[in-house]
Amino acid sequence: MPTANRRKSVRRTLLQSLLPAGVVLMGLAWFIHGLLLEQMSRDFVEARLKDEVAFLEHQLTRTGADLTRLDTGAYFEDVFHHAFAIAIDGERQISPEKWQPLLETLIADPATGPLLIEEPTGIGVTGKLLAYRKTAVINNKPVVIIVAEDLGELHQTQQSLHLWTAVVSLLLVGLLATAIWFGITLSLRPVKALQLALEDLRQGRETRIHTQAPEEFRNLVDQLNQLLDALDQRLDRSRDALANLSHSVKTPIAAVRQILDDHERELNPSLRQEMARRLSDIHQKLEAEMRRSQFSGPQAGKVAQPVKQARDLLWMLGRLHPDKNFELSTDLDETHRWPVEEHDLNELMGNLLDNAGKWAKHHAELTLWETDTGYCLQVADDGAGVADDTLENLGTRGLRLDEQTPGHGLGLAIVADIVERYGAEMTFSRASAGGLNACIVIPRHTTVSRV
Amino acid sequence: MRLLLVEDDTLIAESLNRQLTAAGFTVDEAGTAKQAERLGQQEDYRAVVLDLGLPDGNGLDVLKSWRSGRRTMPVLILTARGDWQEKVNGLKAGADDYLAKPFQTEELLARLHAIIRRSEGRSNDLLTAGGFVLDENRQYLTLPDGADHALTGTEFRLLRCLMARPGRIFSKEQLIEQLYSLSDSPNENTIEAYVRRLRKLVGQDTIETRRGQGYVFNADS
Repeated sequence: MPTANRRKSVRRTLLQSLLPAGVVLMGLAWFIHGLLLEQMSRDFVEARLKDEVAFLEHQLTRTGADLTRLDTGAYFEDVFHHAFAIAIDGERQISPEKWQPLLETLIADPATGPLLIEEPTGIGVTGKLLAYRKTAVINNKPVVIIVAEDLGELHQTQQSLHLWTAVVSLLLVGLLATAIWFGITLSLRPVKALQLALEDLRQGRETRIHTQAPEEFRNLVDQLNQLLDALDQRLDRSRDALANLSHSVKTPIAAVRQILDDHERELNPSLRQEMARRLSDIHQKLEAEMRRSQFSGPQAGKVAQPVKQARDLLWMLGRLHPDKNFELSTDLDETHRWPVEEHDLNELMGNLLDNAGKWAKHHAELTLWETDTGYCLQVADDGAGVADDTLENLGTRGLRLDEQTPGHGLGLAIVADIVERYGAEMTFSRASAGGLNACIVIPRHTTVSRV
Repeated sequence: MRLLLVEDDTLIAESLNRQLTAAGFTVDEAGTAKQAERLGQQEDYRAVVLDLGLPDGNGLDVLKSWRSGRRTMPVLILTARGDWQEKVNGLKAGADDYLAKPFQTEELLARLHAIIRRSEGRSNDLLTAGGFVLDENRQYLTLPDGADHALTGTEFRLLRCLMARPGRIFSKEQLIEQLYSLSDSPNENTIEAYVRRLRKLVGQDTIETRRGQGYVFNADS
């Protein structure tokens, strides 16, 4: 499958980047080695030629610049394989004979110091030549001394050495590749262990991931374990909730059935009322359980679009209460997102607005904003509001809001429930227009709850 | 008053039928989406009670097909699901109100009378300018590309004011009259904020600023 081939593999990426890098670096080292070798041998030959020129100069000074008394030709050629030329006035001594044309031109050339002749002609030498030319005055006679060497032989030695280096480099590249491969395989071994641990988990042999993960994976493993904890807790909770619900609902159902099965008994008004009450009980219990199961609470990866959702809710309430004005006040963008579960945010805004809509005389307003520490929403209306002493108790835990203040009731209980799950803060105050002002701040860094 | 009752649960349908008749309605009953759709298109009803969970389809689809067929009778939807998104979806589909099951008959009757009263004298007014359609009843803006946008009260009033006379300049003072606000007395900054919000919906060039004079709805852009 082409898609499977393109899938990222840590091993492949490492091999694909490290191996070419190793080869290129080794090649570069080999190339630099060649350059340095060349430079070094040239420097060496140059220094030797310079020494020999100095030796000849010394000899000439000793003999008083008399060429006939100088006996160095065979010595130079035999021992050093060097050619030399000495010119005193018009006199010449050049060795060997066949290099004469080249050395003559060098004598005529005014340049001194080391000279590299790239392509010597007419002397039967194919490689490069290095010469050293020096001028001096001995016994009041101008003297030119040149010593030259054929670099060809040296060059051959140099090349074979360079070739050997190439062979060694290739061996080293091989070793490097092996080392890289071992390194990658070793460092990826924990991933394999992780795979096995996950497989164990899937098969039910383990309930948590216990493998010793390397530091880079420890977070991942911790999060996976946390997620598993959360799932377990959720399962336990919903199982308990269902058991409780079924238990609490079965009794009223049994009671109603009993009455309906009793053919002798007549359905008088008080009995009807009693049955209706039992059914209302069932409904209430269902509602409460539904609500609890629907709130997600803070969860990683869940986002809401506050402005878009607020718009829909305000529009809907505006349709339901055509005589009242529902307004949105915010600087946030339509596409702005909050890390709150969508349904939860709908419940927060919907219930607060629904209450405001019931109590407002003309106007209810929802304000959305953000601070450095939290996400804020506020609903205010211009209704009668609630008494100051009730204000303090609104939204406090343990107070059955639905029983305390009709109208601002059941909805607020739901809101308080969600606020608690998010570790948010809800405050009530008297709105500037007289009604109730409810403000909720959801903290930015809610630790993801494990329920 | 003729009323269409769309409900597939026979117990509820029978009981509601009786109580609605007692309250003075002439009730037609439909138990399936297909039947409901046909009746709604053919007959003239003063109001409709529509259950969303029907055996052969969703009540919302029936409602949408009525509305797209220009049937404007008030509709009260009955739903077993009471969450906010469900309610928003119901109203967006064209319902006038919703009632969550289980409900009491008195509540149903009160809501029915309320939506009937509200629908009286209501005409299906559409304000059109430059490819934009403003549904005055539903406070809905339809963009030239067909996308719908729900508007808040102030947004709607400002846009209605501007769209009613495209090309005419409205000063900020004139537009301020369209504003209600809880907190401070509305000022020119508030107008600017609302115009910015509206421009995000209709496009930058559609509402033009005339420096020192005000704003113009540009129907040609």
